[in-house]
Amino acid sequence: MKKLILLLILTIGVWAGQYDKVKITPEMAYIYVYHKGKAVKVHRIQDTKHKLTGEYAKQYRPGQDIQPIKMHKEIQTIGEVELLHFMKTKGNDKTGILVDLRPKSAYKKESIPSAVNIPASTKDDKVKLEKILKVLGAKRLDDGSLDTSKVMQVAFYCNGLWCSKAPTFIKTFLELGYPAEKMLYYRGGFQMWKILGFTTVTNQ
Amino acid sequence: MKKIYITIFLVSTLLANANVVEIVKGMPYVKVKAHGKTYKIERTQDRDTYLTNTFALTSRPSPPFFIEPFSINDDVETYGELEVLDFLVKKKGLFIDARLENWYEKSAIPTAINIPFKLFLSESKEREKVLKDLGATYNKDGSWDFSSAKTILLYCNGAWCGQSPTAIKALLDIGYPAKKMKYYRGGMQAWQLLGLTTIIPKGAK
Repeated sequence: MKKLILLLILTIGVWAGQYDKVKITPEMAYIYVYHKGKAVKVHRIQDTKHKLTGEYAKQYRPGQDIQPIKMHKEIQTIGEVELLHFMKTKGNDKTGILVDLRPKSAYKKESIPSAVNIPASTKDDKVKLEKILKVLGAKRLDDGSLDTSKVMQVAFYCNGLWCSKAPTFIKTFLELGYPAEKMLYYRGGFQMWKILGFTTVTNQ
Repeated sequence: MKKIYITIFLVSTLLANANVVEIVKGMPYVKVKAHGKTYKIERTQDRDTYLTNTFALTSRPSPPFFIEPFSINDDVETYGELEVLDFLVKKKGLFIDARLENWYEKSAIPTAINIPFKLFLSESKEREKVLKDLGATYNKDGSWDFSSAKTILLYCNGAWCGQSPTAIKALLDIGYPAKKMKYYRGGMQAWQLLGLTTIIPKGAK
């Protein structure tokens, strides 16, 4: 019996060790987030021989300017560690939301878990924008001004380092009066998320 | 009619030489002079280029590999590619590849010199020489004076690489001013993913 327990502990130990082979940070191997009401474990591909292939491994990007590290002096740029922290805290308690600005077709195929899709083209649709602002907690007052005292924090991303959709959309939001400190820019975007082997979900 | 032909000829010659993929609109490439040579840095113009080398690997065993935070310290600025290029063109300081030599000699960002991060971790003759080359001097009490030290920009393999952050932290510990250090977090991985020019350094080290 003792031997069996020992074996069991050993097996679990080895299994756990294997699982943690590729971690996120020394303290974090995975997090849980909610995607469309379902819990999703966000971690990294554990196969250390796995290479990124396909569209997101593509280097040739004509007409796609490399984006500056900072899109606006008051908008914080974040990396994966900060994004995961945001998803785990603000995202999970619904005081924050992760927004994927890529076209609907790209989002349907694959996205970061917990992200909702607002295609960047929405920035030209005043009616839709007004609805989005309302969902995010902004209130249009009688005098036409926007009360943003209770708005959610929003983290934006698009395709990555060469994608201008997130910076452009954030600028639109700034012009609409959305507070800079309530917005985050994940510049690495979907491409860096993929190349670091993070979990993705499909949205069919 | 002749004019039209001439125009077509001129335009097509121009197109043949122009970069379709620019760094940003209006900036097809940059040229940087360093170590007595001129380096042209541009993005790949070849339609079928995909990242397939070791930098396409998504997952590396931890330890030692973890995802690095976006910033090292509030005062050490994190750079992206455009900021790196600006640093090089305007010659704002020394560009350091902080990876171990075996990484550097395979491929590196043009103009970077290799100072492996390990050199910064403990006191040694080599470290002393490097710090002096960077403009540091000794105070009377034997501590370092970095007031005339150069601004340095460090990089390593990318978001999953701790080598340049480790070097920067070690330099912070001995008093190198945070404002004189910059961190290119994207590193070799982001650089190549964007199809930017890399070189095999000649006579590495």
